[in-house]
Amino acid sequence: MISRKLQYVVAALVLAILAMGFYLVHLKRKAESISAGPLTQALTAPVNGPAEQMTLYLANDEDNSLRPDTISSALPSDPGERGRLALHTLVTRYLQAGSPHPLGTGADVHDVYLLDPASAVVNLNAAFANTHRSGIEVEQLTVFSMVLTLKAQLPQLTRVRFLVDGKTRDTLAGHIDLTGWLDVPMVAEASKSLK
Amino acid sequence: MPKEHPIFVRVTTLLLLLLAIGFAAEPRRVTVYAPQTNYQVDILVRDGVDYVGLTDLLEPLGRLESRIDGKKLILVFNGGAAEFQDGKRQYRTRSNNKLELGSNFLLVDGRGFIPAASLTQLLSSIAGQNSEFHAAARRLFVGSTQFHYSAELRHAPSRLVLSFPNPVNPSTLIERSRVRLFFHREPVVSNGDDNVSYGDPFLASTNFTEIPSGAEFIANILQPATVSVSDGGHTVTIAAVPPPAVATAAPVATAAATAQVANQARPTALAPRLRPFVILDAAHGGYETGAVLSPTLLEKNVNLALARRLQKELEARGIPVVLTRIADNLLTWDQRAVSANTSHASLYVALHSSGSGHGVRVYTSMVGTPQAGQSKRSFLPWEQAQAPYLEQSSMAAAALAAECTFSGLPVRSSAAPLRPLNSVTLAAIAVEIAPLGNSPDELGSAEYQQKIAAAVASGIATLRGKLEATQ
Repeated sequence: MISRKLQYVVAALVLAILAMGFYLVHLKRKAESISAGPLTQALTAPVNGPAEQMTLYLANDEDNSLRPDTISSALPSDPGERGRLALHTLVTRYLQAGSPHPLGTGADVHDVYLLDPASAVVNLNAAFANTHRSGIEVEQLTVFSMVLTLKAQLPQLTRVRFLVDGKTRDTLAGHIDLTGWLDVPMVAEASKSLK
Repeated sequence: MPKEHPIFVRVTTLLLLLLAIGFAAEPRRVTVYAPQTNYQVDILVRDGVDYVGLTDLLEPLGRLESRIDGKKLILVFNGGAAEFQDGKRQYRTRSNNKLELGSNFLLVDGRGFIPAASLTQLLSSIAGQNSEFHAAARRLFVGSTQFHYSAELRHAPSRLVLSFPNPVNPSTLIERSRVRLFFHREPVVSNGDDNVSYGDPFLASTNFTEIPSGAEFIANILQPATVSVSDGGHTVTIAAVPPPAVATAAPVATAAATAQVANQARPTALAPRLRPFVILDAAHGGYETGAVLSPTLLEKNVNLALARRLQKELEARGIPVVLTRIADNLLTWDQRAVSANTSHASLYVALHSSGSGHGVRVYTSMVGTPQAGQSKRSFLPWEQAQAPYLEQSSMAAAALAAECTFSGLPVRSSAAPLRPLNSVTLAAIAVEIAPLGNSPDELGSAEYQQKIAAAVASGIATLRGKLEATQ
């Protein structure tokens, strides 16, 4: 026979495990609702100053193209902020209804860090990658349009790396490799076939 | 303290043991040997019964179309047809014959499953195809593909000669007291005399058994032995290693005589294997499904079906092919690259599919072009190993694109950062197919896959001489 004391201990442990499990699920749901809830559209940071030309490279799934589109906007002087604003604007366009290259709900760019004038690290949010459609071409269009848009704002840029929520991710959505640096001239060369 | 404590230790040990068994257990599969190809199909166990997916089983064997109508699955295969109903044993064939499966038919996630024990009945009733299923080893032989072997013990020197009507290339394991030959790809079956005792100073006995996914021949030896394959793979010889010669003050031999002796002492070299020209890599697999093309169509399955069609098309053109995966299993990128790099093939083709866009896309790696002094023999980082082969890869991509255009398929070539292309040390491309129209279901169509497979195979055929010349 198992002693009564031992039975109480085991029962208490089982109850504690169950309670912790329920609490964990509750915390997870709460965290998800916070991160995914309000961000259905990327927000462009307000900037004061004179309007400047900003070139966005817009992807189109229908004809697999990447086309430049120049808009006028006030741009910050800090290169990292400038790059982030350009990518925010690009993502906002993709999130609009009827976009020719739609991104998933909540997709956004957290930050753009410049390690030096030639090296940029783009930190995407988890929703960007988690909701992205899977396929070589559709992922390639997204990545190339972001790299070329960044290059248009930061002419000295020669390499770009993508992180998701601050961490390295193998692929964007199962295909395009995000584990290393992307060579900007190579991206520009490869994207010629997309025009 | 109560003395029953050991019960907890026992329970914990039992649980750990069960867990260990669960993790160590290999996935159960049926190995199918057909005249056109060999492949494996995963087994689904339900209520203690082994089930096999109909699509996985029949697709490599011929023209297959299936449709789900409520709880019914209607199947058209090689001119025959059958109608199954979820949860029912009985099924109906085109000639309105009502037949019974060994257990109930299952529809799971839009896929039909039949009991493995009813495989031969199914092939016979739908397509008039004769077959034989060895349940214990889970081996299915379609169209009398299985063959027997004969064994003969010869002397001076002592050797066991195994003869096969078709070429074989077994994996060999030589242990202290036995030689084990594993036939993973060859449909070798028993010759009716599985256990033979010889009582010879070299060979005590032999034993042949069919094992899951193959067959094993064991020779229990009493002296060290070597194994050689000769006669184009038709003969396997297990020979006793001669004892080392006693050093004597022999007269000086001529060079020719020395060479002759050396040749006699050396075991027969392994016959050269047929080197594949192409290695086909159906991307994704297992829990890594790739794109969800439609509620019933996953990228991993389309890629595998396309790989099998392409394999047939290439083999019909006399081009040897190997596949990195032949079932629904997941390989890492590095495993795929290693498979390609050790295959001695000339071209690696990764196959993908996507519901976005139209037609065919051919990709090369976005690794940098080789720097001055960098060659195929240079020591390169794993992620840049493709660099010296980029020119060949571009040539391959151009040839495939040209052939697709010629076949009326919209095609586009580009470079993309794709794994494992960067780590492949041979010409390497990725092909992504998309529907011509707007429905991703077109990707599951046999006609569309066939059209693409034929165009890609023709493109590869034009490359054969060019790529082999550059190696």
